[in-house]
Amino acid sequence: MALRRLVLSSAVIAVVALGACSRRQPPPQPAQQVDDEAARRAEEERRRREEEEAARRAEEERRRAEEEARRAAAEARNILVEMVHFDFDRSDIRPDAQAILQRKIPILRANPGVRMVIEGHADDRGSVEYNIALGLRRANAVKEYLVGFGLDPSRFETQSFGESRPLDPRSNEEAWAKNRRAEFRITGGGDNLVLPRTSQ
Amino acid sequence: MRLLLAVMTVLALATPVGAQRQDTTRLPTGVRLDVFYNTMNRPLVAVRPFAGPPEAAAVAEQAHAIIVQDLDYSDRFVIAEVPEALKSGPVALSAWNDLGVVFLVTGEAEPLGDGYLVRLALHDVPFGTLKEIQAFRVPRPSDAGFRMAVHALSDELVRWMTGQPGMAASRIAFVRPSRDGGDELVVVDSDGENLERVASAPVLVSPAWAPDGRRLAYAELVDGAWQIVERDLETGTKHVVVRAPTGAVSATPTYTPSGDRLVFAMLYGNASEFHEYDVARRCCMRRLTRSSAVDISPTFSPDGRQLAFNSNRIGSPQIYIMPADGGPATLLSPFVYGESSYYTSPEWSPTGTKIAFHGKSRGGWFQIMVADAADVGAPVSQVTQEGENEDPSWAPDGRHLVYTSVRASGQGLYVVDTFTGRERRVVSQAGAKVPAWSPTLRRAAELALAGR
Repeated sequence: MALRRLVLSSAVIAVVALGACSRRQPPPQPAQQVDDEAARRAEEERRRREEEEAARRAEEERRRAEEEARRAAAEARNILVEMVHFDFDRSDIRPDAQAILQRKIPILRANPGVRMVIEGHADDRGSVEYNIALGLRRANAVKEYLVGFGLDPSRFETQSFGESRPLDPRSNEEAWAKNRRAEFRITGGGDNLVLPRTSQ
Repeated sequence: MRLLLAVMTVLALATPVGAQRQDTTRLPTGVRLDVFYNTMNRPLVAVRPFAGPPEAAAVAEQAHAIIVQDLDYSDRFVIAEVPEALKSGPVALSAWNDLGVVFLVTGEAEPLGDGYLVRLALHDVPFGTLKEIQAFRVPRPSDAGFRMAVHALSDELVRWMTGQPGMAASRIAFVRPSRDGGDELVVVDSDGENLERVASAPVLVSPAWAPDGRRLAYAELVDGAWQIVERDLETGTKHVVVRAPTGAVSATPTYTPSGDRLVFAMLYGNASEFHEYDVARRCCMRRLTRSSAVDISPTFSPDGRQLAFNSNRIGSPQIYIMPADGGPATLLSPFVYGESSYYTSPEWSPTGTKIAFHGKSRGGWFQIMVADAADVGAPVSQVTQEGENEDPSWAPDGRHLVYTSVRASGQGLYVVDTFTGRERRVVSQAGAKVPAWSPTLRRAAELALAGR
């Protein structure tokens, strides 16, 4: 108990003395040391924060790029699989179908690994059998159109379903117009599709 | 009364085109609304209820009902009501003569072994004579072959009365949607009974009967490729004849009249070929023709010397005939320069020179038509008028056609008698397609009992 009081009072004296000294003659050295230490710590903290921020930004950037790539891949896929339509008993490529096929061409060029099956379909009027031939003619006309723009013919297979897979089962002109079509099924190179730069 | 009605029906069919109720102003050039001959004698036929002991009463009744319906469906007769007083007892032909009956059929059934005996008699009423009498062995009604055996007896009655082949003892194959979204190949008797599943595939079309009635060939799309298949109906065995290469479609098989070879189309976009395969020896694939158009649906004349087929070589699908061993093709369908028209799905009659197909011109409806290969250039006959009608196939009698129809009164398979124009629905089924009528599958001679 007595000892404790002694230590306490000594400490009080020391503090008072020190305070008196500093008031009289401020020694610059120790304060400098304290400032440097704080600055160093602050700097470290700043760097750490910056690094974290950079990492966060990089992660965000990566995520954004991934998201962008996913979006681009989805857009590229949508463009590739967009179907085209035909007139009754015709297999020639209509102007609206040409516009759709034209959008596929740069995607196919930017993704040379992509392979597709082009499936030809017919409406349910006329002969079931002749419509199988018509479906094949339509698939073939689409393939020839694409190949005509310099794409490798071995990337496209053709198939006909005739009138067996209607999109709209009704029997009216609206349904028939929907059902006279060529569909596109990606069979290879469909992962990580990219959009060509010009269209980004 | 029934006779009078029938006569009026025939007369109505024989009236000039302008009096018809439908769409006749849009008849394509070169097509006439027609049946083969309009001055037709359909004799009045009575079929008396069949007699027999109580243990054969059910068979007698069922056989009678089937035969009456078959004779009606043959479209060669008017079926008389049988007055109550004449339903049993001794046959008094004078009473039948007073009713105007021309032919009277009587019959009886009795047990025989594990089946039954059915004895049929045909009376020529005006001449007062017994024209034919014969006993036949038929299985029990619970046996799968019962109805077909009775159909064979109906065909025998037709032959006794007219000297012509019937078509009751035959079946109709067709394709309908299956539950899993694919196609199902089924077979029914000529009267629509006894539905039987034969095969299924994601896409299945173009069934074709072998002349022996035991095999069916068809085309199917399986695992991304079209193949031609032959199926043995007795064993159920499936034999893949050809699997089309990538980008090609193998389609529309047909048997040669000898039944030992199959001819089918191989389609490559805008070009096509006919190939022949020896199904008897399972070998010897060879190419018959090569075309820079779509040639499809080959069908042989009964003598095997000519081929009818469908081609778009002039831009629209038309029907052609050509020698089976090659040579120039002749346009058969009523194409008129400058008029859009569309004619497909030819089938050559098993008994002569008639070729059935379906088509339309100038935006009308699809109708069943019949042209004569022996009279190229003559107007073709349009044998349907109501709704959209496609894919005709000939009955073994060479006068009835089965086809698909979508019309207000119902979808399914319909049958028309090309001689009288009488039409009936045989199968009610949405989505039924590509019917194929078999040859005669059962003959009364195989069932006849000697000395009875």
